[in-house]
Amino acid sequence: MSEKQSKVMNAKDAVSRFVHDGDHLVIGNYTVGTCAELAFEIIRQGIKGLTLYSQSGVFDVEVLVGGGCVDRLVSTYVYRAGGKEGGSAVERAIKAGTLEMEDYTNFQYNARMEAGKHGFSFMQVLEGPMVTDLFKKRTFMGDDKYRVITCPYTGKDILTVPAATPDVCIVHVQRADRFGNAQYWGALGSVAAAALASKRIVISCEEIVEHDVIQSSPHLTIIPAYRVDAVVEVPWGAHPTEVLGYYNLDRLMYAMFFISDMTGDGLKAWMDEWVYGCRNREAYIDHYLEKFGAGMLNDIRAKSYFSAPANYGSAFTSCWDLEDKERTLGITLEEMEKILEERGMLYG
Amino acid sequence: MAKKYTLDELLIITAAREIHDYENIILGVGLPTTAGALAKAIHAPHATLMMESGIIDFEPLVPPNHIADAHSCRGFSYATDLFSAFTMTYRGFVDVCFLGVAQIDKYGNINTTAIGDYYKPKLRLTGSGGAADFISYARRTILTMRGGEFVDKLDYFTSPGYLDGGDSRERAGLFPPGSGPSMLLTTKGVFRFDEQTKEMYLARTHPGMSIDDIRKDIPWELKIADDVSTTDRPTDEEITFIRRFAPTEVVGRKLMFELGLANAARKAQEKNNG
Repeated sequence: MSEKQSKVMNAKDAVSRFVHDGDHLVIGNYTVGTCAELAFEIIRQGIKGLTLYSQSGVFDVEVLVGGGCVDRLVSTYVYRAGGKEGGSAVERAIKAGTLEMEDYTNFQYNARMEAGKHGFSFMQVLEGPMVTDLFKKRTFMGDDKYRVITCPYTGKDILTVPAATPDVCIVHVQRADRFGNAQYWGALGSVAAAALASKRIVISCEEIVEHDVIQSSPHLTIIPAYRVDAVVEVPWGAHPTEVLGYYNLDRLMYAMFFISDMTGDGLKAWMDEWVYGCRNREAYIDHYLEKFGAGMLNDIRAKSYFSAPANYGSAFTSCWDLEDKERTLGITLEEMEKILEERGMLYG
Repeated sequence: MAKKYTLDELLIITAAREIHDYENIILGVGLPTTAGALAKAIHAPHATLMMESGIIDFEPLVPPNHIADAHSCRGFSYATDLFSAFTMTYRGFVDVCFLGVAQIDKYGNINTTAIGDYYKPKLRLTGSGGAADFISYARRTILTMRGGEFVDKLDYFTSPGYLDGGDSRERAGLFPPGSGPSMLLTTKGVFRFDEQTKEMYLARTHPGMSIDDIRKDIPWELKIADDVSTTDRPTDEEITFIRRFAPTEVVGRKLMFELGLANAARKAQEKNNG
């Protein structure tokens, strides 16, 4: 493969090229290791009117909603800072009438992505929640939040959800090659389905690796290159959340964020400092080091615990043995060509 | 002087030339994989080669023994499952697939299941495998027939070509616009499908084959392209690649068995002498 196919760019270019006002945007990561820098870049670029999908909306959803990027939210679980006093950006926006939310269960949300990933128009989900308000209370999706069909085999009622096919997925992974083959390990959650359900995919990764690293570990690839639009190398790209094999959750920074997020003014001040105040992730890390020193980052850097290598080797990589004889036929190329000539098998 | 070539080499190279750079290709064992390897080595270096077992983006170094043969390459980019390989085709991410044919009608509909009565078959063939789904949703399908037959009516309808011809495939509402078989390769020539009527016509004849030779295999009045000519000859580069990559494909099955058995006998003899 040549450089021509490289999809490597910086976060600014990736977001401006592939995320647009009014998009249906899905955060591919589930709970851990979110694509913090890509979310920050969306906020810095002032993208508006998003319909945001997030399996479990915590830090990432809070900043995107707090940044005024989101009109509609599809999720299963949102953050609350603690007790009756602790608010959240999602709660404040719902109260202010600037955000509509559709609630699903974890399974239903993931089923919508699986349907989208496979090109199906809907997916069967578990029937139990049919009796609850999840089923009855609906916002912007209306009748299409769920539909009930009759099973053609048993005659039973079956609950279904429509496929999700977001315009764009942003997702952070451990490593990728420059063509876009993205490798991710740890809690698989719904990461691959969210990415593959989407029309465009923007990947950020801790490091870009050579293609042969990918080729020798294809079981770790969750998104194949031909689906990917942009690859952004961002060390510490998920901070203050964690990336397995790279760094742990920064509990201090995370706590400071959530304390700030209890009020609108608090969140605004935090974002002024860490999102708007840092033009990219490098500046963010520089600011962090300036404020807290290197010790806090060093404390959360992962120590190595490598998985055992999988052997992708085979007995040979050529039909010709060391004596240049074909392994099955036992003859050289010249001998083979002579036989073809003698048997009258050659034309032209 | 240009290199001489075998009929099998001509077929492989003609198929390979249907693959364009940057396309996603689903390959089967035998001719298709050799064609895919050739295309990737020579004129389509960025093509993504796939097998329906879930081996995605591989560079074959030896011909695979079956469609789940990761021994044929040195790693690959993405390990997925069969279900996802088919749904990625359903969603339109596969540009080209290759299918073998046992019976074909004038609109490119295919039988690979049974000859004679399905319930009491004269010959029970392989069945669909991936065929019926792939030809439904790949953007283009390349058909190969070595030893099969042209018929007015299939004994069993396994895989949908252009149905009753004309716009009937599109009217069915089941298939992406523009999909369907784009070429049929046989041991005698190259056939394509008319843009309007979707009826098969003869586009090229292989060396040494006359139009009459080809007509006598076909039960209907075969249409012939105005510009029908001999199949384009392979280049030396293409022939050299195939002989190194897939010598057993080059010699054909019959000669492979003959030479292979002789080789085995020689090894046994050496052991006895040694």
